[in-house]
This record gives sequence, C-alpha cells and structure tokens, in this order.
Amino acid sequence: MNGPVILDRRRVLAGGGALIVSFSLGDAFAQDQAAPAAAPAPAPKPPGSLATTPYLDAWIRVDADGSITVFTGKAELGQGFKTAFQQIAAEELDVPFGSLKVVTADTSRTANEGYTSGSHSMQDSGTAIQNAAAQVRALLVAEAARRLNLPAENFRTEDGAVIAPDGQRLRYGELVAGDMLHVEAHPTAKLKDPATFKVMGQPVPRVDIPAKVTGGAAYVQDMRLPDMVHARVVRPPSYGAQLTECHTSTVEKLPSVVKVVRDGNFLAVVAKKEFQAIKAMTSLAAAAKWKETPGLPRQEDLPRVLTSLPSQDKVIFQQSDPSAIGGKTLEATYTRPYQAHGSI
Amino acid sequence: MMTLKVNGRDHQVDADPDTPLLYVLRDDLALNAAKFGCGLGQCGSCTVIVNGKAVLSCVTPLLLVEGKQVTTLEGLGSIQAPAAIQRAFMEEQAAQCGFCIAGMMMRAQALLQKNPKPTDDEIRTELEPHLCRCGTHMRILRAVRRAAHLMQTADASTVQRSAQ
Repeated sequence: MNGPVILDRRRVLAGGGALIVSFSLGDAFAQDQAAPAAAPAPAPKPPGSLATTPYLDAWIRVDADGSITVFTGKAELGQGFKTAFQQIAAEELDVPFGSLKVVTADTSRTANEGYTSGSHSMQDSGTAIQNAAAQVRALLVAEAARRLNLPAENFRTEDGAVIAPDGQRLRYGELVAGDMLHVEAHPTAKLKDPATFKVMGQPVPRVDIPAKVTGGAAYVQDMRLPDMVHARVVRPPSYGAQLTECHTSTVEKLPSVVKVVRDGNFLAVVAKKEFQAIKAMTSLAAAAKWKETPGLPRQEDLPRVLTSLPSQDKVIFQQSDPSAIGGKTLEATYTRPYQAHGSI
Repeated sequence: MMTLKVNGRDHQVDADPDTPLLYVLRDDLALNAAKFGCGLGQCGSCTVIVNGKAVLSCVTPLLLVEGKQVTTLEGLGSIQAPAAIQRAFMEEQAAQCGFCIAGMMMRAQALLQKNPKPTDDEIRTELEPHLCRCGTHMRILRAVRRAAHLMQTADASTVQRSAQ
C-alpha cells in the first residue's frame, strides 16, 4: 500500500485491515446482540422477542375449529411483514398460507414489542413467530403421539394435521386442548430445513395492499368511534416558547367547540367537527401570546453540540486480522445533516 | 344542508360551505380513500376526481363542488370487483405504506380517462404534484402503464362483445 490513500465509502465498506465502526445508540435502539466480552455467559434464552414474551400462546393460537391466529407486537406500516409473518407461521406450522390470520400491534392482545423501528420486525418478531410456531407444531405432534401411544418421530405434519404412521389424520383443532400452548418456549426449536421450504422464500402478494387501493380501512385515521370529537393543538412559535396569555372565551363560543385545553404551555381545542376544530385552533393561535427565548444550537454547529452531549459509546462491529502487517491507519470523521424521519 | 354527489349517489351534508371537501368525505361520509396528508394542497394524498378532473380535496371548499360529480377511489371498484387502475396497482404491488397511493391513483385515473395512452413523460409530469416518501415511484409508474394497458384491453373486449 504505497500509493495514495483513497478513502471513499465503497472502499471503507469493502473493508481493508481493521475497521472499527463505533457509534452510540440510545437505549431505545440498543437491541443488538453483541454482549460485552467480560460478561458471564447468560442462561440461554429463546431467540427474538420470545426472550421477553416467552409463552407460546402469546404468539400462536390454535382454536378447536382449527383456525390459527398469529400475534405480533409490531405495527405493519408498509414493510410487508404481516405477509412475511403469515408465510413464516404457515411454513413452520405446515398449514396453507391463506388459512392463518395475523393480528398486528393490538395492545390488548399482542406482546409488547416496543417500537416498530430500526428494521427489527423480522429479527425480533419474525424470529419469535418462527420459533414459537415450530414449538407449537412439536407440541401438537407430541399430543398426537401420546394419544396413539406411538413414538413422535414416526409422525409428520401436513395441511393443518398430524399424520400418524398408518395415515390417520389428527387435525390441529382436535389435538389442541386447554392450556396446552400456554407454556414457555424452549431456548431452541427444531426449525424446518430451508431446503424444504414451501411457503417461505416464495413471492406472495402483500396482504395489506388490496385494502389500500380500494379505500378499505387500513390506517389508524380510518377508525371512527361513536361520539368521536376532534382536537387540534396550537403549536408554540418556537422551541421552548412559554405561553404567557390566552383569552379563550371567544374561541369557546365558536360553533361546535367542546372545550379549550390549556395545561402549562400546552394549548389545544376540542370540537365536534374536524374543520371546526381547525378553525377554532386558528383563532386560538391568534389569541395566544408567547414568550420566546432562543434555545436551539446553531444548525452549522449541530455535529459539535451533539457529540459533546453525554453519551454511552459502544462498539457494534469489530474485525481485525493480526497477520496483516505494514498497514496504514486511516482516521476520518463523517457527519451528515440532521434529517427528520417524517411521514406524510 | 348541502347536497353532494359522491360516487354516483346524492348525500345531504350538514357542513359549512367553506369546509374542505376532504373532511366531509372522511368524517361525514366515512370514506377512507382520500387522505389527510398536509392539509395544504402540497402532497396530493387527498386527490379525488371532480367532473373528470383531479382535485386536491383538502383545499377545495364544498361550495365549489356542489352539484358536481365527485369520485373517490371507493367509487371506481372494490376488492371483489377492482377497477383496472386498482387491479394494476395490486398486480404491480405498487404501494409501500400506501398513504399516498389513493391520491396517485385518482390523478392517474383522471389522466387515463382523457389520455388512454400516455407516454412515460406525460405520466411523470401528471403525477409530479404527488409525494411518496417510501420511494415507490418506479412501481407506481409501472402500475399506471399497466392500468392503461388493462383499460385498452377491456375497451377492446367490450367493443368485440358489442360487435358480436
């Protein structure tokens, strides 16, 4: 390496010698698998979100009529994982793709899997569903073996049923009883060999698209509850602005206005109809007086300000080759502008 | 009370004449397709067709649409009987989050109604007012081309049938 050192993204990513990429992640995103080298080996846990929500029936429910429901705490917002999870569960349970129902992010029914962010849905929830489904299938096979008093190895599964050595079919719905699936997951499951996949690895049309292109209910905004009212928030004119004065009586008398809400610097209005709430919010904004003090760092100084804040640094990837000699050490600092992760 | 013609039906609506059409479609008529994106006519997700023209419903007051034919995505077809444009978007899987898609589809539909064989440039120019932050643009373009093809095939078969 005697020539000029050319440092561009492609070369850095391709990797030469030692490359240490290190940045700090907040706790909310610190879901990587790397454990500190010095830590004692923890007891083995089931993979993905099964580690924190270990009961199998939190992920897979088999009803007596044979219908199967899969639960995930992640929210489908166009990533396509609802379809993918249906494939995963169908594969590991040996049932047709169309026979399953997937329930996404319903706080009263699904595991609490925290944020849906950082490309973690497949890794955390998909892995949990895959392993839970495989263990549910094993339990159903064991139950069939117990009933027929034969070794479980002699049974196989197919199309929602356990098949006995003599060809007798025991449907999943008949086999499942009581709290059979209300058991904690084992750390490891016997997963299908990818070479035998029938449903996974196949292109499947996304299950969420038909509703999205025909005006079906597909978003939280499409929920209309009985007696629902509409609110609008009066945004402060700048970060940290303090609400000093707001006469609300005129706004309170506007048509369809239910209430003006003021809590410290928070100001909002509730109305029976949405556009009335918007008009009331505009009037309220005009009536509000704010005290503003500059509190944000200068845009061009952001990288320095951000890196000077308290942080926890950790190495997320490290690779080295002790046999490499005569290498050059490259040091560089990269910054990029802050970009809001804003949706429409 | 105002009378609004939406998807071929008359609706009596209790709303002020300055109310943007979008709120009436979503809140009073419980139609999901037209979306609130920006509320400022800057993203296109609220687009519907009024008398054959693509219109931004979030900045179009009721007053201007009284007596006119308003069509939303629901008026074109359903999951069971999708219109050509809906079939095309399903077949091309032309949505990620899908929030912009209903608006894109309505403007594309209005385009195809007056220009059944648009060039790529014409499709791009027409859809220019629409934002998609997922980045589904190439699939959307393919879906509009497919819709044009499906509509022509359907027209051809209708002509054939009526000729028989």
